[in-house]
Amino acid sequence: MEILVLNGIVNGLIVGGIYALIGMSLTLLYGVLRIVNFAHGEFVIGGSFLAYALFSNLGLAPLLSLPVAAVSFFALGWGAYYLLLPRLQKSDDPEIMSFLMMYGVSIALAAVMLVLFEADSRSIDYSFEPVAMKLGPIYISTARIVAFGIAIALAAALTWFLFGTLVGKALRATIMNREAIQIVGVDVVKLSAFAFALASGIAGVTGVLVALVFPAFNPFSGAEYSIIGFIVVVLGGLGNPVGALLAGILYGLAEQLATVFLPQAMAPIVGFGILVAVILIRPAGLMGWRAQR
Amino acid sequence: MSAAIEVHGLRKRFGGLTALDGIDLEAQGGEVLGIIGVNGAGKTTLMNCICGIYRADAGRVVIGGRDTTGFTPHEIAHQGVGRTFQVPRVFRKMSLIDNLLVPVLDRDEDGAVLIERAESMLEQMQLIELRHNFAEELSGGQQKLLEMARMLMPDPKVVMLDEPFAGVHPTLCKFMIERIETMAAGGKTVLLISHDLTSIYRLSRRVAALNEGRVIAMGGVDEIRGNPAVVEAYLGN
Amino acid sequence: MPPEPAPGASRSVERASADRIYFTLAAVIGGMVGIYFLVVPILDLNLAFHFYLMLWITMASAFNVAAGFSGYMPFGFVAFYGVGAFTTAILVKSLGFPVLLALPFSGAAGVILGLLFAPTLRLSGIYFAIVSLALAGICRLVISNMPERITGGSFGLQLGSRAEPVHSFYVMMATMLLALGVILWLSRSRLGKALRAVRDDAEAADMMGVNVTRVRLYGWLIAAFFPALCGGIEAWYTNVVDTETAFNTLTTAKTVIYAVAGGLGTVTGPIVGAVVMVWLDELIWRQFPRLNLLILGVATVLLVLFLPRGIVGTLLRRRPAWRRYVP
Repeated sequence: MEILVLNGIVNGLIVGGIYALIGMSLTLLYGVLRIVNFAHGEFVIGGSFLAYALFSNLGLAPLLSLPVAAVSFFALGWGAYYLLLPRLQKSDDPEIMSFLMMYGVSIALAAVMLVLFEADSRSIDYSFEPVAMKLGPIYISTARIVAFGIAIALAAALTWFLFGTLVGKALRATIMNREAIQIVGVDVVKLSAFAFALASGIAGVTGVLVALVFPAFNPFSGAEYSIIGFIVVVLGGLGNPVGALLAGILYGLAEQLATVFLPQAMAPIVGFGILVAVILIRPAGLMGWRAQR
Repeated sequence: MSAAIEVHGLRKRFGGLTALDGIDLEAQGGEVLGIIGVNGAGKTTLMNCICGIYRADAGRVVIGGRDTTGFTPHEIAHQGVGRTFQVPRVFRKMSLIDNLLVPVLDRDEDGAVLIERAESMLEQMQLIELRHNFAEELSGGQQKLLEMARMLMPDPKVVMLDEPFAGVHPTLCKFMIERIETMAAGGKTVLLISHDLTSIYRLSRRVAALNEGRVIAMGGVDEIRGNPAVVEAYLGN
Repeated sequence: MPPEPAPGASRSVERASADRIYFTLAAVIGGMVGIYFLVVPILDLNLAFHFYLMLWITMASAFNVAAGFSGYMPFGFVAFYGVGAFTTAILVKSLGFPVLLALPFSGAAGVILGLLFAPTLRLSGIYFAIVSLALAGICRLVISNMPERITGGSFGLQLGSRAEPVHSFYVMMATMLLALGVILWLSRSRLGKALRAVRDDAEAADMMGVNVTRVRLYGWLIAAFFPALCGGIEAWYTNVVDTETAFNTLTTAKTVIYAVAGGLGTVTGPIVGAVVMVWLDELIWRQFPRLNLLILGVATVLLVLFLPRGIVGTLLRRRPAWRRYVP
């Protein structure tokens, strides 16, 4: 039993790192742009499929797909922003309208991946040397350790960026008060585009890591990751990147430990249950927003 | 004769901020009680506590002899309390007529009768031509008038006006002043918050001056005008 | 010269004539819809297409009660549908109920689920939408993890030995007309006005004497009743129920999109939206079956960007005076 629990904890941390990244990028998007990116999961899986395609067709190692995903998704995000978002800000209820629009985007993206890759589950058959490493009484695949390392490094870099650089501070300021930041002369549109592109880039990179950590994925896996993203974001407080980081790791731990004690099929209920409970009982999460009407 | 509305020892804190620090006041039927004070003195918080949006931490509110402390907003509305807001809160995507019908939806009266009453109110406010437009299509001043009409529909006994003259041009102000005088003449009790001291002094029989959550002076207009504490609160600090 | 009529009198005459136009239009549309669907089986037109068209009109209309009238976007709307489907299936299969007796229980199951979810009604837009999604996920998982002899596990439940397409078709029609009637009533009734006031500004409505919690609940339960009924009737029509199809997120997606396409807040909006989108869907599916999902997604994005108020909604925005005449 102890080995199972230990396994659960280690896997929980690894998985949590990925969830943290998903949550951080999603919460950044909400905080800066006030849009709830329903398609975030599809962005992530898109990154997974990119890594898969590069690996199957060009034999490119997943680690090398990371920068490719980062750059291409950043560019896609930048373009998508200018294409989709400006009109939205003028509507009566930008939050719900953006939710609806990203709902449509998520369906469209899943459909594109379906057409390109078929509905079967894919995985990347790549191993590092050595295949697994021993940590005390348990074995962990090197791929997972590497992915975790990268996830944490990325999360740390993002945190440093948000607190240490001028652009990062501008992003945080926008999260706190969108009107005020315009008054002090910041080009909110460009900053928003940057935020969208940054969040997309991180999502794409996270997708590559997903391919390394999780056994398989398919075009419809996006929905699961979107839900996880929401859970993490709500737990951590809407618009709070550090909150999302902590919440992601906590949630990863909770999820993996749940699978130790519950049948596999029931495990998602834990996630949904946590989400519902947090929203109803303490909607502010670890620190956060007004959730009541 | 018991007062139309009484407030006893009302206290309200928001975290570390004390908004109301023991408010006592009362107002009679047919009187206009002016409420003045600098921003943050607690005027709007007082109104919010009276009409039930905020739950006071301590103290009582008595309306028409009935203790309404802890009542929900709609229960208090049914005690005959109406109010307007500093920034108009009209029902944006409903017609003017529908806006006016909302406070009287639960009355037994026939729909046609209520609609006629709503229309005659709109006529008084000179908004009748726009009666089918959505409220969001009105100008700010028109929305304030709409709010006033909406508030009067259920014929409330106690009326609370939060800065009715703010941002409103002089002609409209004059119109509103006349409406308020009519309300008081008809026996309603009017609590009037305003920074427009001229209008306050003209309309009110008595004035309550608030500062830092407390009533620092209450009395007739002349009394308040010369009161050193009031002058200091407005000009000092 | 005869004295001019008092303005009040001429206004009430005008009001009466506007009401007449409104209800005549409603009757005409309702009549056309009713007669059209009535003759579908008689003229041997595509039964399946029309059955589902009626289903989507009903679903979109019920969603309109939640979203357009009350201001809620339940992205887990399919939960009511799935619960209704399984209720009918279980009652018919395991307890031998005749379907017509089981269907009201499906409706009731929807209402009960709505009551269970009622505490979420105090949440604001996005939180409510997300929680709704999560609750639907929980419903699906709970039912799929129930003992196989009750809910059929991964194979689902078969209702009976033979389906009765024409009977279920007419019951669906009756349900659709009932839904449209209820919404027509709601749009003119005091409850409808109260709902819209709460939607626009709940706190202000509270201070105007509206019992916000009660009003929200009534609107919500009406919205929960019809999708549950639809689930039950569809289970009867296809004769089979399983968790994948009963709790398919695509059901919510289509409901939302069709309702938004037509325009929330009007009675005719969801009808128009459902008709246009289902027709489009059928057209695309015949030509490009693999691109169906993609077209749905792209259509949604285009709708939100260019026609956020839907077809009927945008029309009424251009001609606000028509709002009094168009149901």
